[in-house]
Amino acid sequence: MALLELKNVHSYYGNIHALKGISLTVDKGEIVTLIGSNGAGKSTTLRTISGILPPRVGQITLAGARIDQVPAHKVVELGVLQSPEGRRIFPRLTVRENLEMGAFTRKDKAGIAEDVERVFGLFPRLRERTVQKGGTLSGGEQQMLAIGRALMGRPTVLLLDEPSMGLAPVLVEQIFSIIKDINATGTTILLVEQNALMALSIAHRGYVLQTGEIVLQDSASNLQSNEMVQKAYLGIE
Amino acid sequence: MSRAINIGVWAGVFGVFIIVLFGGQSVLAAGLICGLLAGLLAGARTEGETMQAGVRDGLISGAVAGVILIVSNILRNTFITTLVGQNLPSTGEVLSFGIAGAAISMVLGAALGAAHFLPGRRSSYATWAILGLVILIYPFLDYSIQLGWLGIVITGLIFILLALGLNIVVGYAGLLDLGYAAFFAIGAYTAAFLSSSYIGDQLNFANPRVSFWLVIFIAAAMAGLFGLILGAPTLPLRGDYLAIVTLGFGEIVPIVFRNLDTFGITIFGHEFIKTFNLTGGELGISPIDPPKLPGLNFADRSDQRPWYFLLVLIILFSIFLINRLRGSRLGRAWMAMREDELAASSMGINIVRTKLLAFAMGASFSGFGGAYFGAFVGGAFPSSFDFSVSVIVLCMVILGGLGNIPGVIVGGLIIELSDRLFLPQITLLLQSIAQHNANNPSLSGLQRFDPTLYRTGLFGLVLVLMMQLRPEGLLPNARRKLELHADQASPGEAAQSQTDLYDVETEAASS
Ligand SMILES: Nc1ncnc2c1ncn2[C@@H]1O[C@H](COP(=O)(O)OP(=O)(O)OP(=O)(O)O)[C@@H](O)[C@H]1O
Ligand SMILES: [Mg+2]
Repeated sequence: MALLELKNVHSYYGNIHALKGISLTVDKGEIVTLIGSNGAGKSTTLRTISGILPPRVGQITLAGARIDQVPAHKVVELGVLQSPEGRRIFPRLTVRENLEMGAFTRKDKAGIAEDVERVFGLFPRLRERTVQKGGTLSGGEQQMLAIGRALMGRPTVLLLDEPSMGLAPVLVEQIFSIIKDINATGTTILLVEQNALMALSIAHRGYVLQTGEIVLQDSASNLQSNEMVQKAYLGIE
Repeated sequence: MSRAINIGVWAGVFGVFIIVLFGGQSVLAAGLICGLLAGLLAGARTEGETMQAGVRDGLISGAVAGVILIVSNILRNTFITTLVGQNLPSTGEVLSFGIAGAAISMVLGAALGAAHFLPGRRSSYATWAILGLVILIYPFLDYSIQLGWLGIVITGLIFILLALGLNIVVGYAGLLDLGYAAFFAIGAYTAAFLSSSYIGDQLNFANPRVSFWLVIFIAAAMAGLFGLILGAPTLPLRGDYLAIVTLGFGEIVPIVFRNLDTFGITIFGHEFIKTFNLTGGELGISPIDPPKLPGLNFADRSDQRPWYFLLVLIILFSIFLINRLRGSRLGRAWMAMREDELAASSMGINIVRTKLLAFAMGASFSGFGGAYFGAFVGGAFPSSFDFSVSVIVLCMVILGGLGNIPGVIVGGLIIELSDRLFLPQITLLLQSIAQHNANNPSLSGLQRFDPTLYRTGLFGLVLVLMMQLRPEGLLPNARRKLELHADQASPGEAAQSQTDLYDVETEAASS
């Protein structure tokens, strides 16, 4: 049974029909990527899963239990954490406070302190900046903080929305290898990316989204060699 | 050294202001205030590092202020006292009270200067102990030299209690509430209904009177409940829209109390509740029972010291409570919500609950304050709860430094005392000059000049100046100061960030 499953999900912003019957599965331990052009509905899919934008039609299940009408803060308690598009770190809280905020649903002080260390291990740059305020970090550092903050909730499923956005090429490589490491420690990941090449290189499977519908799904390696994907998303003629 | 003298002069200016306005033995109170100012500022700003330096600078500042006090006390009694028709004290009295005022200023200055340099936490303990002592002796001084400030100080403290509550809503949770006076009114009317004979008088029965000690908590709960009720419809609103809606509530509630003077329920000609005067309309409800406590007399209006001490205790307890709240899970949720609502809910924070709790807790402070106010002034009158109350309390919060408790207290005292004590006293002074010099045309013209009419204008002016000169508030926390004065960030931080590989904004790096 899939860990996370969407069945025929329709989401709306007011009367804008953003998701038109999305079905997808993410198995335990996988990295699944969602690629598509601007406005295809990738972020909307993540918002729908995390309960910020509940679907009007369709089902979402986490380990078999329905979560589609569960409010956002409860979804977090169930272990689905999101590093949202545009990072949305807390600008006036320090790096450490931001991380601790990520562990809001947890009460085990020792475990939280341990996880802060773990995040600092993944992103040493954040350790140098523990008392700096989030809003004054560089874009890349903010991205690290956003991912680190989501990890603080000990997610079973981590939703990443464009973790490479606005990063220098060296840093993109670094972030993707960290994502792989996070996955290797047992966290299931649903990854939304513009950078399809990188995303497919670390993912197990992928879905291609077009104006709110899934048009293609396959293993990552098959997608990489798919002609349509190459043309539209990998920039290969 | 020159800095200490400077501080002394500034403290002295405050003293002169008080002496000129009040005359008599007010120089003692002026000494108390000057000593506080001199000691606190000199301690914080001294160039020295040792306790000796602290004592020296505090002493110098206090002494400079003291000399100014003595001189201005002499001048005041020479030129103004007869002019306003007060009794002229003997020269010896003028001198000895002046010297006593100066001595108070010096001792306080030196003590606070010394306290500043005690090691570690003992420094703040000592400072608080001295402040506590001043808070303790002030009402006795006020009473014995017939200063007559106590009633106004108590009202000011009630407003500070409100500001502490509003600080939760605006400062911690980031919800701009312009209708805070509504809950103040709800608290006062709850007290009026429960601990006066009013309802019984209207309906011809002897209603039970609920004790003050219970009523303040019922009033707080009532206001908290209305905080929830009024907060619920504002949940989806943010920023400007929230401000407008709360503004509306703030206007509606006092009007409802004003207009419930003909209250009754009649459906299809059947009178379920006979029409009667529920709230007393414009005249309000009075008298409200004062608290009863063995050994203390709250009913004696000429000695308000019990009210003062009870309120100081309540405020201390509130500060303790709010500090605990701030560090709690709820406090952290407020902070996250203030920063970014969506991100906060992605962290597992229940936005609905967090927001409503902020409204409810803020409102219950206001309700508590309202009940206390009602009992203190002995009645609930709709005119005490108009929009200006909401504005003044909001100004206390912002002027003091958003989210900063000592700032809120200092800012609140300054605003309340200026508004209710100093401005009316200036008016009184000018009027009595005019009265006692009716045959002098240039002076009798003062009769028509009433500075209290300009209070709103002055208030606005102060706000504009404050926001221009010190947008971070009177006592900002280091954080906000850095945020608002980015250009003055310390050079060390800038140098450090230049060694970084990629862009990092340096402006507000806090530590
Ligand atoms: N808050 C909103 N209100 C109205 N429409 C929205 C809102 N957010 C997104 N949309 C619309 O929904 C559609 C899908 O948006 P979404 O953000 O999911 O795209 P995306 O695939 O993440 O694109 P990108 O790669 O540019 O981030 C778009 O047409 C967008 O205009
Ligand atoms: Mg997107």
